[in-house]
Amino acid sequence: MPSQTRTLLERRYAALGVMLIAPTVVVFCSVIVYPLLSAIYLSFFSIFTPTLEGDFVGLGNYTELLQTEVFWSSLGTTLIWTVGTLTLQILFGVGMALVLHQNIWFRSLARSLILFPYFISTVVAVLVWKWLFNDLYGIMNHFLISIGFIDFPMDYLGTMPNALISVILVGAWKYFPFVVIAVLARLQTIPDALYEAAKIDGAGPIARFFDVTLPQLRDVLVVIILLRAIWDFKEFDLIFLLTGGGPLRDTQTLPLLVYQEAFALNDMGKASAYAVVMMAIMLVFMLIYIRRTRTEDGS
Amino acid sequence: MAAVVFSNVRKEFGSFTAVHGLDLSIAEGEFVSLLGPSGCGKTTTLRMLAGLEFPTSGEIEIGNRVVNDVAPGKRDIAMVFQSYALYPHMSVAQNIAYPLRKRGTPLAERQKSVAATAELLQLTELLNRKPRQLSGGQQQRVALGRALVRDPKVFLLDEPLSNLDAKLRGYMRVELVELHRRLGRTMVYVTHDQLEAMTMSDRIAVMEGGELQQFAPPTEVYEEPANRFVASFIGTPGMTLIDGDLSRDGDHWLFQADGISMAVATLKDNASPGPACLGVRPEHVLIGEGPVNGVIQVVEKTGHENIVVLELSSGQRLTGRVPAPQSWRPGETVQLSFDADHTHVFGPGPRGIRLNRDGVSAGKASAPPLDIANANTPTPRKAQS
Repeated sequence: MPSQTRTLLERRYAALGVMLIAPTVVVFCSVIVYPLLSAIYLSFFSIFTPTLEGDFVGLGNYTELLQTEVFWSSLGTTLIWTVGTLTLQILFGVGMALVLHQNIWFRSLARSLILFPYFISTVVAVLVWKWLFNDLYGIMNHFLISIGFIDFPMDYLGTMPNALISVILVGAWKYFPFVVIAVLARLQTIPDALYEAAKIDGAGPIARFFDVTLPQLRDVLVVIILLRAIWDFKEFDLIFLLTGGGPLRDTQTLPLLVYQEAFALNDMGKASAYAVVMMAIMLVFMLIYIRRTRTEDGS
Repeated sequence: MAAVVFSNVRKEFGSFTAVHGLDLSIAEGEFVSLLGPSGCGKTTTLRMLAGLEFPTSGEIEIGNRVVNDVAPGKRDIAMVFQSYALYPHMSVAQNIAYPLRKRGTPLAERQKSVAATAELLQLTELLNRKPRQLSGGQQQRVALGRALVRDPKVFLLDEPLSNLDAKLRGYMRVELVELHRRLGRTMVYVTHDQLEAMTMSDRIAVMEGGELQQFAPPTEVYEEPANRFVASFIGTPGMTLIDGDLSRDGDHWLFQADGISMAVATLKDNASPGPACLGVRPEHVLIGEGPVNGVIQVVEKTGHENIVVLELSSGQRLTGRVPAPQSWRPGETVQLSFDADHTHVFGPGPRGIRLNRDGVSAGKASAPPLDIANANTPTPRKAQS
């Protein structure tokens, strides 16, 4: 056994190491591993939420959910929401980062202001947006009518596809600053000499963007897209507060479905099954992310 | 025909003037170094030639065409950067081919040019590698390749060797000179390393404080520095500069400083008595006998020669260079004199101009012998010291 050949000092260092990581391990186990295992365990039961009592149904919850129409429609909505809001976040984020990277006089002010949506509480943000979107006295309708874009007030959150589009737009507004920060940080590390070399080689502004800027941003964009995809996929509060999943179930994403099953329909077992399936889907992104960051460290 | 002409070019950054009215005419096929300490305006000058900075006033011509309003990519130049500036996501082949691609060269022709350039620079084996997989020297050659492949009128090189280790730098110097000889293209080379400038250039433009100090072949810059700055900047170890006074007795000029008094060679007609500065290169300090006493402070052994730092009674330090086997030790007092054929006299101030007649102190045949004969004659004052 290797431990027999260890010196006293080595053993003391090892003991210190264990002591130092122990708090993290304990916290990690109690807030992540235990709830995770517990959710998986619960998903094999049919459980009444208030009493947390019920019968073992094996994979029953899973076979049932795969046959439920609402699961598939919610999954579809989740994917549309994730892809839609993520695309806008990336486009706005990269665009804004490029603007803020320029030498403009209000740059430092703009750089701090741009973070505002990201730092503001979701509840506050949603209240403000609901007010803007209000069909009777909201400023959006007032504005669009006054410029002659529409003749009658629009219902932004109560009809489809307006509701889903509104949710996607508000999501993009709320989270694009994250993309701005990450991309801006990367932009600042691209050496000027690369742009100068490209200028001398005859590359115009567009060619310089595609041949110098974009390749340099590729790595950071991959990480941003993976992280934001995971975070958007599990987004709950913004959608719940803005539309509550409505009209009907048209903006209901998987996290909202889990909430509904668990606390509205009081079926904790089924809710756990949905949550576990969600986790399995996100696991794909997570694995790609982990692989990606690992190969970066390695190279 | 001049390949590159700067006419009264001035560059200001806000209130700071980086280049003051530069006039410089570089001949076709010439290898010219812009040499000077950091902040002297040499890089700004090169960047203006490249089109990366815009002159505040004045004109820049490349091949008889004023290029002030011509984009960098259209100036028919190529530049090698200090950091190489290789596109990191492209392979060596793609890097070299990039300028051709931007120019719309057909693929087949592009491949041929890349292959030929790679062959010339011994990069053929590396064509599929990415820049990060290459050593510094290899990256340097790729950067050169990207410049060569365009066959430009003028090559601009911005301290291209400063990121290489000493041995590789020496090797690349030879390579560059050979490349220049083979291509016969105009090359403008920015460096703060006088060794690079001296060994590679046809002519050196010495700059300081945004002004051109001297533009001449390396030997001339070394032997007949135009002013005190050039004299002190060129040469390792540097020229010893002694401040003193110049007086005139008919045709004879006498330089006097604390502990030194010596006749100097014929000066220019515009030389006038008053404060002046005497310059002596280390190899022209003759140690062993002479009217001046000095105490050896340090002996630096470099193998084939020794660098001796001496201090005169006045506290003035000077550096001498003597062939290697020498037994002098620090603390020893020695007698010394200066080789009067090779002393330099400069006017007052940090950029005091050279007062020697052209070709005189360089020891050339044209030197009138009259004063030199008496140059080392000890004076009573010297004997006292």
